[in-house]
Amino acid sequence: MLGKTDKNASWFVVAALGLFFIGGLLTTVAPPLLDKSWSKPFENHDPAKGPTGKLVAYTDQEMRGYRIYIREGCKYCHTQQTRTLLSDTKRSGWKGVDSPVSTPDEFVYDWRQTFGTKRTGPDLSRIGGKYNKQWHKAHFNNPRDLVPGSIMPPFPWIANNPQELDDLVAYLQTRGRAKDWRPDNDYEQ
Amino acid sequence: MATQQGSASAAALANQDIHQDTTVKWFLLGAVGYFAIVGIIALIIAAKFVWPQFLGTIPYFTYGRMRPLHVNGMLFGWLLAADMGLAYYFVPRLCGVKLWSEKLGVATSILWNIIIISAIFTLLGGYQKGFEYADLPTPVAVLVVIAWVMFGFNIFATILTRKYNQMYVSTWYLMGTILWTAFVYLTGNFATLLPGITGVNQANLNWMYTHNAVGLIFTPAGLAVAYYFIPRASNSPLYSHKLSMIGFWSLAFVYVWTGAHHMLHGPISQWLQTISIVFSVMLLIPVWAVVYNFIATMKGQWHQLGDNVSLKFLMSGTIFYLLTCFQGPMHSLRSVNAIVSKTDWIPGHAHMAVLGTFSFLAMAGVYYVIPRIFKTTLHSESLANWSFWLFLIGGLGMFTALWLGGFWQGWQWNNPSIPFIDTVVALQPVWMVRFLSGIIIFLGIVLFMFNIVSTAISGGRNASEATARS
Repeated sequence: MLGKTDKNASWFVVAALGLFFIGGLLTTVAPPLLDKSWSKPFENHDPAKGPTGKLVAYTDQEMRGYRIYIREGCKYCHTQQTRTLLSDTKRSGWKGVDSPVSTPDEFVYDWRQTFGTKRTGPDLSRIGGKYNKQWHKAHFNNPRDLVPGSIMPPFPWIANNPQELDDLVAYLQTRGRAKDWRPDNDYEQ
Repeated sequence: MATQQGSASAAALANQDIHQDTTVKWFLLGAVGYFAIVGIIALIIAAKFVWPQFLGTIPYFTYGRMRPLHVNGMLFGWLLAADMGLAYYFVPRLCGVKLWSEKLGVATSILWNIIIISAIFTLLGGYQKGFEYADLPTPVAVLVVIAWVMFGFNIFATILTRKYNQMYVSTWYLMGTILWTAFVYLTGNFATLLPGITGVNQANLNWMYTHNAVGLIFTPAGLAVAYYFIPRASNSPLYSHKLSMIGFWSLAFVYVWTGAHHMLHGPISQWLQTISIVFSVMLLIPVWAVVYNFIATMKGQWHQLGDNVSLKFLMSGTIFYLLTCFQGPMHSLRSVNAIVSKTDWIPGHAHMAVLGTFSFLAMAGVYYVIPRIFKTTLHSESLANWSFWLFLIGGLGMFTALWLGGFWQGWQWNNPSIPFIDTVVALQPVWMVRFLSGIIIFLGIVLFMFNIVSTAISGGRNASEATARS
């Protein structure tokens, strides 16, 4: 069949699209049908099965913060995935507690995926509850005031806009909270 | 015999005369202009890694808005526009007929310019859609689809009216590009927005697009260019038709399976990660088939590299293609991925693909085509040679700095006792080398643009003088 394709454009189109669609459909349409964890929100009340907790939908304020996160392209420097690597669980951890790895069921309500491809700044998948609003305000105003050597851009137009600051911090505090993973429950608001 | 030769050369002459090439001119000159404009954006974001306060307090120029503009501007404003312009040149010649419609072609170019200018304003304005490579807001993405249909229609209509029955390999790659791009682009820009498509499911569609934007848009478009211009620029026949078929059909089958390798070790089904790894390694088949064919075509012709700038770009592009497509499958192995993924190694790899491979191939084509369609000679062979060396040295400086730095960074990340900020500070010298290499590359772009524009102007002047004389 492929032998005819360099003389017959119709054969060519059928073959080129046919081969493409085999892999295309099997890797995009089939996986969410086969793996239900992609669409079923995380929920666990049994401590024997690991972290407990429940994923809830975003509030309006968190959603506004989420849009700011996308608008400023934060995902181009911050990943949001604690990978199945020991060092990731240590780095996402807090005060001596290792973080659980990220699972698909934690992201079911995510309107824009924020997994990221580049980790210029630290991963944010477990940032929720680590720092309070005052810390974030100072950090957005000039990251180097709090973290010398940081190359994060300043965001004065967010730090000095009370509405946007509240919204963005509210979004950040949701990251990783579904899995109630810190035994002391010491989350900042 | 003599008459046969006479009629053959008369046919060749007639064949030369039938091409108007207006669309080619529009697309190529626009592409070269955006290459320089977006080159400035590239330098600014490279500078921001070294001086993070630079242009930092102006929302429109913050890193997170300029990076998508850099990526989309280079991919669509420069590279895809250049590949499209070159396609408008070689498809009519391979088919032995005129382009189906120059008017439609020029209209496509005008629409393309509207798209790129809208991209500049919307992305800096903070209207990015939120998907890597598919950052353009939906109304602009709709215009891209319309422009692509106009381009595809014109090319397919030309192919269907062709005089030569057998289609050359560049024609297949281009037809493949047109067909696959349609579905890949729709998946990344529109399927991701369907109701209920969230989280990992959306990321999987996003990676299918992002990966295949390179694999099924820029790869086949760039290989179409290389398959046409390597034999043309070296004046030697392609080594093997059969090998080109193996390369093409294995690419068509293998590439689309590999999207999930962007989420290795991440929150996506393990079996899907494994499938993406297996197919990523199989990518070596189409790549080696293509590279062997190019290298074998050059057998006995290597001496031409000395004074043939197009051939220099084509052959370095081929070597970068071999290297970047060796890195890709290796990154997909879990043990290697655990070190290099998310580090600065990855932009090093991505730039070798988009700049080192596909931009080199496109520049070779532009250097070859512009003097011919303006019926003149290149403004300066020596400046063209300089531009090649600036691109090569700047490119190698950037790639190697990012590989070494990224590998070191990944090694440090895997030792959790090193605080994250120390791994940032450690990379400062690497980012400085990347910025300085960027300046060298940018000088290459400036020389390239100057040479092309000067050639076009002198060609235009010759033409108006000829009209005045007659």
